[in-house]
Amino acid sequence: MASDSSPANFNGPTSPDDSYSSPIGNTFSSPGDARRRSRRRSSTPSAFATPPPNQSRFATSDANPALTPTPSSRRGGRRGGRRATSTTPVNAAATPTSTDDAPASSEGGEGYDADDARPTFVWGTNISVEDVNEAIYRFLKHFRDSSTASQSEDGLLREGKYEIAIKRVIEIEGESLDVNARDVFDYDPDLYTKMVRYPLEVLAIFDIVLMNMVGRINPLFEKHIQTRIFNLKSSTSMRNLNPSDVERMVSLKGMIIRSSSIIPEIREAIFRCLVCGYYSDPVVINRGQITEPKICLKEECQARDSMTLVHNRCRFTDKQIVRLQETPDEIPEGGTPHTVSLLMHDKLVDTGKPGDRVEVTGIYRAMTVRVGPAQRTVKSLFKTYIDCLHIKKTDKSRMLAEDPMDVDNPTGRNVEDISFDEEKVEQLKELSKLPDIYDRLTRSLAPNIWELDDVKKGLLCQLFGGNALKLASGASFRGDINILLVGDPGTSKSQLLQYIHKLSPRGIYTSGRGSSAVGLTAYVAKDPETGETVLESGALVLSDRGICCIDEFDKMSDNARSMLHEVMEQQTVSIAKAGIIASLNARTSVLACANPSGSRYNPRLSVIDNIHLPPTLLSRFDLIYLLLDKADEQTDRRLAKHIVALHFENPESLEQDVLDLSLLTAYVSYARKHIHPQLSDEAAEELTQGYVELRRRGNFPGSSKKVITATPRQIESLIRLSEALARIRFSEWVEKSDVMEAFRLLEVAMQQSATDHSTGTIDMDLITTGVSASERMRRENVLSAIRSIIMEKMQLGGPSMRLLELLEELKKQSPGPEVHLHDLRNAVSTLASEGFVSLHGDTVKRV
Amino acid sequence: MVGLAYDLLANPQGAVRSTFEKAVASSGLDFDPASLDGEDWGALDLFRHFLSDQTHLSQVPILNGETVKWVRPNTLVRFRGMIQDMLGNEFYVGAFKDGDVWRTNKFMDVSHFPMPMASTSSPHMRVWERRLLYCVPVPGRNSWTEPSSELVVNRCVDCSSHQREKRRRMDDEPVDHMDMLVSDEGFQGSPSTKKMKEDGQPSMSSQTTEPINEGICSHMSMVPSIDSDSLPCLVKIYDSPESDLKLNDVFEFIGVLTFDSEVSMDKDDQDELSNGFSEDVLVHLPPNKVPRLHCLIHRKLTVPDFLHSSPTMEPKPHVVKEIREALLRHLTAVLGDDSVAAHFMLLHLLSRVHTRVENIAVGKLSLNLTGFSKESVSLFGHRLSLAVKDLLPVTHCIPLTVEYLNSASLAPIKDYETNRLITGVLQLAEGSHLIVDETQLKAGTLNSVGVDNTRLLKNLMELQKVEYDFKYYKMEMAADVQLLIISEGKSNILPADIVIPFQPTSVDSSEVRAAEALEAWRWYLATVKSLPHSIESEMQKVVENDLVEARQSDRNIGSQDFNRWLTMGRLMSVSFGENCLSLEHWQMVKELERLRRERLK
Repeated sequence: MASDSSPANFNGPTSPDDSYSSPIGNTFSSPGDARRRSRRRSSTPSAFATPPPNQSRFATSDANPALTPTPSSRRGGRRGGRRATSTTPVNAAATPTSTDDAPASSEGGEGYDADDARPTFVWGTNISVEDVNEAIYRFLKHFRDSSTASQSEDGLLREGKYEIAIKRVIEIEGESLDVNARDVFDYDPDLYTKMVRYPLEVLAIFDIVLMNMVGRINPLFEKHIQTRIFNLKSSTSMRNLNPSDVERMVSLKGMIIRSSSIIPEIREAIFRCLVCGYYSDPVVINRGQITEPKICLKEECQARDSMTLVHNRCRFTDKQIVRLQETPDEIPEGGTPHTVSLLMHDKLVDTGKPGDRVEVTGIYRAMTVRVGPAQRTVKSLFKTYIDCLHIKKTDKSRMLAEDPMDVDNPTGRNVEDISFDEEKVEQLKELSKLPDIYDRLTRSLAPNIWELDDVKKGLLCQLFGGNALKLASGASFRGDINILLVGDPGTSKSQLLQYIHKLSPRGIYTSGRGSSAVGLTAYVAKDPETGETVLESGALVLSDRGICCIDEFDKMSDNARSMLHEVMEQQTVSIAKAGIIASLNARTSVLACANPSGSRYNPRLSVIDNIHLPPTLLSRFDLIYLLLDKADEQTDRRLAKHIVALHFENPESLEQDVLDLSLLTAYVSYARKHIHPQLSDEAAEELTQGYVELRRRGNFPGSSKKVITATPRQIESLIRLSEALARIRFSEWVEKSDVMEAFRLLEVAMQQSATDHSTGTIDMDLITTGVSASERMRRENVLSAIRSIIMEKMQLGGPSMRLLELLEELKKQSPGPEVHLHDLRNAVSTLASEGFVSLHGDTVKRV
Repeated sequence: MVGLAYDLLANPQGAVRSTFEKAVASSGLDFDPASLDGEDWGALDLFRHFLSDQTHLSQVPILNGETVKWVRPNTLVRFRGMIQDMLGNEFYVGAFKDGDVWRTNKFMDVSHFPMPMASTSSPHMRVWERRLLYCVPVPGRNSWTEPSSELVVNRCVDCSSHQREKRRRMDDEPVDHMDMLVSDEGFQGSPSTKKMKEDGQPSMSSQTTEPINEGICSHMSMVPSIDSDSLPCLVKIYDSPESDLKLNDVFEFIGVLTFDSEVSMDKDDQDELSNGFSEDVLVHLPPNKVPRLHCLIHRKLTVPDFLHSSPTMEPKPHVVKEIREALLRHLTAVLGDDSVAAHFMLLHLLSRVHTRVENIAVGKLSLNLTGFSKESVSLFGHRLSLAVKDLLPVTHCIPLTVEYLNSASLAPIKDYETNRLITGVLQLAEGSHLIVDETQLKAGTLNSVGVDNTRLLKNLMELQKVEYDFKYYKMEMAADVQLLIISEGKSNILPADIVIPFQPTSVDSSEVRAAEALEAWRWYLATVKSLPHSIESEMQKVVENDLVEARQSDRNIGSQDFNRWLTMGRLMSVSFGENCLSLEHWQMVKELERLRRERLK
């Protein structure tokens, strides 16, 4: 589109204010820019023969003759940008529909032959102006969303999408019409291609057609409406912009890093003679410069060098230069981010501020660099920038910032949905249908950390989360699952934390050692300059609706920990400091890890004594995992193998069949957003029963304070866990199996199956965490085999049996895999803990 | 040969032009300039062929603070440096029609022919792009790596290098004996630069002497503004895939040197686009401070490229073993007869990150020598740092104090005002060696900068990654830096892979290092380090069993220890020049670990 700098304008002769007919109306003008390449040629034979080098886009003559615009056209073009006044002869000639041109059109058609029947082409291309004109008109007039069009046969009677939009714009006296490029593509792929390839020309026609339509709907509407194209079919990476993209329409994503102050750009200047007080006609900028009249134009005066600029009567537009930088995810390894300058005009000014992630649609332009200020010679270099047509803010950094589990969405945050395109959704749904999706996700979670399958399952539940519930009475139930990992050093707790932190939205990672109470919650600070008190959010507030990972939880001061009470149950942080009383939302899941009280787990002490955290806080964790480092040769061997492989083999071979991080993230966020499972009756029944059982076990005689007893909190936890489990399957209903798995997770977490309830200590041999599923299966088989043997062979209170005898028996019955005495002993002691048998030394007795 | 028509050294652009004309002519009338978009028309082959000859290559002067004073613009030069920043792409008029003739602007700043008014879509013009890289001399490079120009020009390498080594020894010795904390760069730097002046000038072949003087005259004005130690260079790269050149890579660029004097005029011509903020980064890089190099050929440099001796030596086992013994003796002497520490030191010097799996940088081996006191630091610490300087091409030293931590800018920061990446101490080339002297660290409060800096150091240590600060987000860049920590007790700020109490038994080190030995050691470290390595399945079993056994007997042993042992095993066998871990070397590693554990008790 004729640029800015081009001396001639768009509608050439008619309206001087069209000189900057570029949609963006950029005015910097280097001489080189003045030579517009894309010229539209009228069909005037002479012009055809030798295109004048300095063509304006529509007019054939590069003269700029009539500098006396009609008032109306000038008014129409009051504001910035593209001024496609309706006067273009081209369209007068071409489209019969545009006959109702604005009145100003008449003069200046000089170069044009309005009656010329031959088509007008965009210079250097085979694009016919008439065709494009026609196509755009058809599009604006007739485009309907596919859904609505197919819906009714009387589609013709209904107004097109953009007709409605245009009317709305007129109603609100808007200045621009947003046109979805995909709509254009759907309606007329050819037009789309032309638009992307020759945006300057096609957009100019677009504006003209649009103004014609506006004129027809409301002839009195004088404001100029610009077309803003957005949502191109393909977006380019900043890195891949290359010379072939110049002068094309591109769409880019990036982050705004700087924006200049608003620059008033002169469009039209009016001069006054100091001698006689004569006001000149508006002088239009020409190649970025305004020429001051040398002599007073008033015939009687003609004083020399007397003209002075009258600022008040000049016309300015807003301009802003914004720098866009690549987002971190687009930067290849070992590269630095690329940047590109954006030029914003009028309404677009200040739409984005530094730090915003935006998607920009615009025209990629190159501008020559002058050698010297006054020299005409240009260097062989170009500066590039993007004339911005449309800017759209995209979602904030991490996925899933918005969480639908929040019922009342009180924050006025910009709820820009993370859109999942259909393909992706299909892929995710396919995944969710896999029978082993639960295991597969578990495997995909921190694949570099072995074993700990159950811990990973718990963490998976935490990522998916349960449903938050708010009752009409005002009581609310959180959906966040809190997890505490307590374990021996070297059990990769921290790695797990780091991993979750990376994966989760708004994850905050903090160490209990370093963070004071204020660091974790919120902090009132005095602004050093103004002395104002300001509220600084701490980790918990920052991770609102995310996961707050707290390392070294045990090292945290009691004071800080006590703050967590409120956060973990009420999900708010209250601050009363320096006269500020505030309650901030902190709907966060807490993932904490701690070492046992004696830095290593002491099997002679009870679980509670080992964890050594106040029970009030403990009960707020849904899952408490004891990661105990048990001397297990198998595990050690696997570790050794893995590390040896790490050092000596191609790391690629270590890859397993897992979901990659981005897919996992997408899966989690999709589930959190779209799946809201409900308890089925069956599941509810199971829950009730299980809970009663749990209570009963907690009240084991003699256990008193030594074990963690079930409280109503546990049942909430169970509901949350089962909901999360249903979410993992993308299921809207919580099934019985989910509830059972939730119970299992809860049990495993506390090593309850291994806990001797009478003393509260853990039998180290019974620890099941860190045991792979197959191993567990094997143990269970052994267990059930023994159970049946005992049922069969032994009577209640009858004679006892020796372990070796049992082993013999077992081998007889199940000839399959080898069973060791060691396994047998484990199984028997499990039975003993159930109260099914009693074990004294080597003798088993049924009780 | 085509090249003979032009002097490729003195007039490379002529060669570029002639090959271009040839290409145009060969395609006849229907020449389509688009066919050359991003393509080479044979100019590079010409240069490649020409420079593959070592003697031709050695005639290409190396651009540095000294040579820039006499090198003429528009001639062929070499520049060795690290890519410090990437300034994006530049569009230029690659080919244009001058009347009826097609001309090219490739490899030059300004056209030699009048150009029509530029416009991007004219059929008489092709717009091409090139990448701009801001390169600096490798930070921390030791003076001995300087490929001194006399060596380059004089072809009789032997006598000069011999002589030079002698001089160097004389230069070094006084420093060695004066146990002062003087930066030895000052000592070593000055003689070598002097030398360059002496030798560089007369050695120029007679035919070029005249123009040189001319060059000096015409560019005298710009000379004073160049800091002779650190001459940065703006390298313009043509048609090379992005993945070839990465940030912090060390390259040798061979290309056309230009002084684009016209650019400087732009300064007062800030056009409208730069309103508000300075758009053009080049404005901050005036050509009189930063020469431009239009790169024809680039080559990634590795440590052996910094060595003077010819790299033809075969790493034969017995040679390697001999050198290893000698180097160990040397290290032992430097470390006051502490041979255990010397062994660890050797392994440490050979370490490099060879793979990354998730967050684990496999192959790093940072070393923490503890047990230093104020006195022993001034003696051994200094001696150690000198020894490392002599052995490795790129070394750094950070004296860790609270003030330093609170004020230093360790991480590179993006400055959006100038759109440049401001370098930080930790922007290091691959394979740099960093000594952190923690003995001077006293109790004190860290401010936020200090906390950030300690975190950075810790990350570098544990993950071999440095976070670059891009203000709106941080970007992790992989690094490969050998870290040596000297401290009183075990450093908790910088948890090293290996902590070993340093126990010197003798103070004096009267050993005189022979120059040849030094060269051999450098060669040894550089060559052996990059050897490939593997493990046989039998040995793998043995190692696995050992690991399991160790863990069964001591539950405190974890994956970290396993990693350390395996790294040590690899380095140990590599240090003997072998590609495969043998039982013997594995035993040596275990023995070393045992000795270390004993000391720790």
